[in-house]
Amino acid sequence: MIFYEYVKDRVWPLAFRCILVMKLAVCITFLTIFQVLAHHSSAQKINISAHNQPLAKVMKSVQDQSGYPFFLYGKELAKLSVNANVQNMELQRAMEEILRDQPVGWVLSAGTIILKPLPIEKKVASTTPSLTTTMQKQERIINGKVTDAYGQPIRGVTVSTVQVSKVTSTDEGGNYSIPVSFESEMLLFSMVGFDKQEVPVGNSDIIDVVLKESMDNLDEVLVVGYGTIKKKDLTGSMTNVKTEDIQDIPANSIESLLQGRAAGLQIVKTSQDPGAGTTVRIRGGSSLRGSNSPLIVVDGFPIGDAGNLKQINPADIVSIEVLKDASASSIYGSRGANGVIMVTTKKAKNGQTDISIKHQTTLSQFTSEFIQWTDPALMAQLDNEAKINGNMPPLYVGAVNSTGIYFPAVDEIQSGAWPHFTDWSKVVFRDNPVNNTSTISLATANDKTSFNLSANNLLQQGSYIRDNYGKQIVSSNIRHQFNKYLNISAFNNLSKDNRRTNTGLAYWRNPLWPVYNEDGSYFLEGNADYSHPMAWTDNRKNTAKGTDIISSWLLDLQLISGLSLKSQLNYKYGASIQDRFEPDRYTETGTNNKGAAYLDNWMGQVYTADTYLTYQKLFKQNHDLTAMLGHSYEYSLARSSAMESYNFKNGALNNENMASGSPELNRHRNGQTETKLLSYFGRLNYAFKDKYLLTLTMRSDGSSKFSTNHKWAYFPSGAVSWKLHQEQFIKDLNLFDEFKLRASYGISGNQGISPYQTLSRYGIETFYTDGGWSTAIGPGYVIGYTGVGGRYKEWGGIPNKDLRWETTAQYNFGADFSFFNNRLGVTVDYYSKNTFDLLRERYLTLSSGYDRMWVNDGEINNKGIELTLHGDIIRKRDWELSGTFIFSRNVNKVVSLGNAISSGLNRDFLSDTYYEYYGGGMDPFREPSPNILAVGLPVNVFYGYRVDGIVQSDREGEAAGLVGAEARAGEFLYTDLSQDGVFDTKDRTVIGDPNPDFMASLNLNLRYKNLDMNVFLNGVFGNDVLWSGMYNSALYVPLRWTPDNPSNEYPSVRQGRLHYTSDWFIKDGSFLRIQNVNVGYRIPLENQKWVKQARISINAENPYTFTKFEGYDPEVGLNGRYGGGYPKLRMFSFGVDFTF
Amino acid sequence: MGCDLEEEPYGFYSEENFYKTNEDAESALFYAYNTFSYNEYVRAIFYINELATESCDVKGEEGFGSQEINRWDYALFRENEQLELYYKYCYIAINRANAVIDNVLNSNLSEDFKSSILGEAYFLRAWNYYHLIQIYGLVPLHKGSITSALQTIAPMPKDFDELYDFIINDCLEAEKRMSVRRVVGRVDKVAAQALLAKVYLSIASSKENQVNGYKEMNKDIAQMYQYAAEWSRKVLYDQSTYGLSPDLISIYDTRKPDGPEHIFIMSMDKSGVDEGNFSSIDKMFIPYKNGTSLWFANPDGTYTKSTNMGWGVFMTTELFANSFDASDKRKTELMAKRFYTKEDGSTSGLNDYFLTRKYIDPDFVGVKSSTRPFLIRFSEVALIYAEAVGPTQEGYHWVNAIRHRAGLDDLPSSLNLADFRNAVFNERSFELAFEGKRLHDLRRKAVVVNTDPRAAASGISEEQAAYYPIPQKELDLNPNIPRI
Repeated sequence: MIFYEYVKDRVWPLAFRCILVMKLAVCITFLTIFQVLAHHSSAQKINISAHNQPLAKVMKSVQDQSGYPFFLYGKELAKLSVNANVQNMELQRAMEEILRDQPVGWVLSAGTIILKPLPIEKKVASTTPSLTTTMQKQERIINGKVTDAYGQPIRGVTVSTVQVSKVTSTDEGGNYSIPVSFESEMLLFSMVGFDKQEVPVGNSDIIDVVLKESMDNLDEVLVVGYGTIKKKDLTGSMTNVKTEDIQDIPANSIESLLQGRAAGLQIVKTSQDPGAGTTVRIRGGSSLRGSNSPLIVVDGFPIGDAGNLKQINPADIVSIEVLKDASASSIYGSRGANGVIMVTTKKAKNGQTDISIKHQTTLSQFTSEFIQWTDPALMAQLDNEAKINGNMPPLYVGAVNSTGIYFPAVDEIQSGAWPHFTDWSKVVFRDNPVNNTSTISLATANDKTSFNLSANNLLQQGSYIRDNYGKQIVSSNIRHQFNKYLNISAFNNLSKDNRRTNTGLAYWRNPLWPVYNEDGSYFLEGNADYSHPMAWTDNRKNTAKGTDIISSWLLDLQLISGLSLKSQLNYKYGASIQDRFEPDRYTETGTNNKGAAYLDNWMGQVYTADTYLTYQKLFKQNHDLTAMLGHSYEYSLARSSAMESYNFKNGALNNENMASGSPELNRHRNGQTETKLLSYFGRLNYAFKDKYLLTLTMRSDGSSKFSTNHKWAYFPSGAVSWKLHQEQFIKDLNLFDEFKLRASYGISGNQGISPYQTLSRYGIETFYTDGGWSTAIGPGYVIGYTGVGGRYKEWGGIPNKDLRWETTAQYNFGADFSFFNNRLGVTVDYYSKNTFDLLRERYLTLSSGYDRMWVNDGEINNKGIELTLHGDIIRKRDWELSGTFIFSRNVNKVVSLGNAISSGLNRDFLSDTYYEYYGGGMDPFREPSPNILAVGLPVNVFYGYRVDGIVQSDREGEAAGLVGAEARAGEFLYTDLSQDGVFDTKDRTVIGDPNPDFMASLNLNLRYKNLDMNVFLNGVFGNDVLWSGMYNSALYVPLRWTPDNPSNEYPSVRQGRLHYTSDWFIKDGSFLRIQNVNVGYRIPLENQKWVKQARISINAENPYTFTKFEGYDPEVGLNGRYGGGYPKLRMFSFGVDFTF
Repeated sequence: MGCDLEEEPYGFYSEENFYKTNEDAESALFYAYNTFSYNEYVRAIFYINELATESCDVKGEEGFGSQEINRWDYALFRENEQLELYYKYCYIAINRANAVIDNVLNSNLSEDFKSSILGEAYFLRAWNYYHLIQIYGLVPLHKGSITSALQTIAPMPKDFDELYDFIINDCLEAEKRMSVRRVVGRVDKVAAQALLAKVYLSIASSKENQVNGYKEMNKDIAQMYQYAAEWSRKVLYDQSTYGLSPDLISIYDTRKPDGPEHIFIMSMDKSGVDEGNFSSIDKMFIPYKNGTSLWFANPDGTYTKSTNMGWGVFMTTELFANSFDASDKRKTELMAKRFYTKEDGSTSGLNDYFLTRKYIDPDFVGVKSSTRPFLIRFSEVALIYAEAVGPTQEGYHWVNAIRHRAGLDDLPSSLNLADFRNAVFNERSFELAFEGKRLHDLRRKAVVVNTDPRAAASGISEEQAAYYPIPQKELDLNPNIPRI
């Protein structure tokens, strides 16, 4: 993009180019080229010796020496002959010298020297008759100022006249002046990032304009894998998330802010622990056992699975792109199957130095009361009733039980003779956990170098007492334009976090027990009471510290015009150390071992080296081609070591000296995993006449995780798009600002299994024989635990040499519409993705001695629609109202689970459907898992029995095919679905589906002058939740069946009842949440020189939820299981944000 | 940071880098032995073999499938946790033994060493198949180790003959290859002889009592008794390493796992870190009494300490406690209702039931103890011999030797064969009480329903009681198992 003396009949082409350049300026690559030319040597002294030379030629010389491009107003100016003797002058003086006695004025604006004829009023004698003929008598100068909605001047706005094309731009103060010839002239104000505005000139000489930031600017540049693309040229399906909307919401990592912000993106927050991550899915899960998390890429560095990008401070992020379809994501090949989230961090703006300080304080509270016993006598009475019904001696009889504890009798509690009634939730939880996060950042840029420095401190209190999380991040982002061709940038991020874990305290503890005895010691329920929350809090140790480094180096080399080479080297390092100690009292392991100490170390590092060439060229005006070809290598290594030590003479050192335990009980473990991924990739973007767009991508990946024959896989994709709004027949409709159709198809993969699965693996144990311990080694090793409390080992170790990639083939059809001057935008997508060769663990016969092994079989399908509506409803100087509505529906189906026998599938008696259990067991249910994978049904559906009320008489129970205790009155009346007269496993069927029917969100932005307000509603609809704790919830137990209260809803209480998964536990989990309400105020700073921007905000996260669900909160994991837990938090934040 | 995509195993062994040395082979053998000490296997021994008989009840709060076994809830057996676990762990041991046999057989290790390692591996395979057929009847037969998915589905043997012949052959291989060499936790030639005796006696008495599967067997009852007698006779007369312990208490002393009676004893030690390495069998039998240590009175006036935090899972029934002769030391010395809460016996309390003292460890540390299940004791072999050989002089000799040790008189001297065998059978219930032998005894005599009131109350037939069904999980995945 070389500026030259553009001296044509019309100035417009030049203006067009100017605008083009300014728009492109957003794009880093072009910006830097521009800068190289524009600001290459502004301080350089100028030497010119001209005698009657055309002005254009002289200016060319100025351009060469100063680095500033120029343009001339009208071709007459170009021919104007000038005399100048400029020696070693600054630009200012040089220009004065050149233009001395000439009817020409000049201005340096937006890095361009603009020369124009002086107004006629100056009455400069005309030396060139041809020039005067072009000077219209009516010509006058319009002056004015361009500001943004907050009154801040905008620099670099292109101001042009519409009829007689003239152009200028605003200076630092937002001021401009432009000559106009007619009263009927219109002024056009345009600027990247703002909506264009046309103003009729009329007879005023001063025209001030307020430009509105564009909400849906098609010139926006989006980040895609290994490159960027203009939003208007998109062929695939991707969504851009604007960080302004979420800047005031408190968060530890960016993922939790994305909830409901992009169609097809599902974020589930399952844990409220400080520092906890989230579950992230794009267009449903496509893998059963591999990873389902999208790949997260920060500034071109593929960091790993999305879920907890704790290393990057959300305040440092400027934009996020969610790549959804295969065309967009398959450039990441084997890691693109779950979609990709591209994160871009903030970069300094040229010529500006900003120091910003941002602080936020958050107070949390529970959204609801605890569901717990409020009447201790009733609790005791019902406990007795349950014991008696279960043929056991009642406990609350005013006697010492077998563990030596006195249990008061019910009337003792009733009369108040028993003095204790503890609300353990008050003991265990904080009233108002406080979070503080502060960020200070410095951003500055000049012609050659720009840098951002940022530091963040986060202190988060957990809901549980003395449960804390802290994190510090320092980050730097430096770019340097080495010369015209070479640009180097470096991103370095160092974070450390520390956690004191004190979760899982027993808030469900018997409320009849006091916290302390009278002497101040803990009140314990016998010697084997290992759950006293205060004893745990005071005596256990569980801390972890982590350090993370992300370092990314980019070399950007301009080879020849249009051809650039980028080489990026990324390094990520993470280390953590965890200290734990269980004292010899109050904890089970500690008591059993006379103290138990642990020290765990983990270290992981990833290197990636990406190199790619990009070529861009516009051929014959109509053929716009961008081609990219690249190579990538990734190496990752994780190492761990764990030490255990037991039996301490004195526990005072806790785990500080691991050698102080009994030497023969010391245990050590260590591990290492190493994976390598080698890739080649390429992409071709072609646009014909800016109407027809084509994108083709290809990637081949080789992974060390697979056997020789399956190491390599190929991931092609293609997309086409048709910009109908560029067609005359659509233009004639005068309806659409944008009307674009898109279609794509592509293949991506998933290699999300652990390494070494294709290798046979032996286990190592210790065996005691002949008076000593010997090492025992052999086939089979422990791959997991199952059963109540994880008491039973699960064995694996059969290798599968044939393991190969999971493959996802996805097609996408989409359309983008924009109406009413871009004030209403609609994006619709339909997709269907099939994942086959599913990597999964099949169950093996018990008699094999193994539980599971990895195989590739089965197929799963996700299809759905996504709709995004965006409207600028009110757009006025003082008032603005805009809204975004997002709707998405994903329908998930298990197409196949492989061969029924070899995959070890079960068969449903009633429907002949093949299924297998999915996920682990859940208390109190007896089945291996309440969730199943069933052919033809969505992943994770609930499988179990139907309950048709409560057995009202023993006779009714027996008639229903129930036997023994389960046939008695007051029991669940299970439905004999198989109608064979007995209640057995044949009566099971699918009883619920935890997958939502659809998700929807609505984001409303309202601004009145400097006050802005954002309301964000997020809803999930039509999902079932399995509430396992219903049977003993204090909400329902008092409603139990008794002979006097023949309930048909709630069974009698009976200790020892065996619980089967049934629809009795299934509830509708639909909810609509007012997720966030934010009010911000931008303090007007007209008379402030040193404060550029100041904003205060108040934010309420999770203020209210509409739901029929009676548990604490229906937002549960994707498998729909709800165990109870504690109430959801509601958070109020106060934030300030100053820029200096 | 090379660019090749080969995967190098790190930190684990596999066929490729194992079975290279004697030590490798021995540790692979230990891996097979180690299966026994997993909780899943150890506890199942008692959950299944004791709770299903008249000797033992289970405390009300105990889960894990124990209640169903105790009350013979036949409809739930296919998905019973314990029955599934025991089944699986027998096969884990078999697969580990198979791996030793397959790899060591073809290795270049010295013949002597190979022979003894292989002998033990054959024994372990036989031991587990013998217990599988006892508990579940006919079960799938894996003859080699499993290294690929295709091998995970094993065929069913044609009938009891095929599976028993396989077991007997393994025992003979084991007996032939091993020498007499006592190592605690491992087996030797004598153990193999004892196992042969057990196997033959099982076949003989089961067929004699028309137990399903056995009654169709192509074996001669008398010959089976004869083989049982021959092999047990070798244990009693042809070696001098093992013998009867002079007194009862010392048999069960955790400090003496190498006592004369222990032909095969499980190997666990309180110094282990994970349960399975250490034992908590004691806690299953000893009740919780205020968290204080419990002492039990010894015949010599001293007191033996036991764990202070039992779970009291297994509760001796009144029926069984009352079936002992009042002067039987196996009750007076090995079972106790009275416990002492001080070391000097100055304070005491009474338990609800007679608890067995066979599993107490005075040296316990927290929950950890060295209480070990007794897999083959010399006195069991003596009783096998007596039962097999019948009312001969030698037969009387051994049964009376055991009675004398228990403080009882001789058996009546002129019993006929059937009465004598019944008398020996009864003797087993006292001598081997709580050692995991009772259920099989009841089954081979087809007297489960007759003997256990809970079995009778459940309404099951003697035929049903003879075996547990093969677990549903196996049925679901193994098409070779005939559907019912």
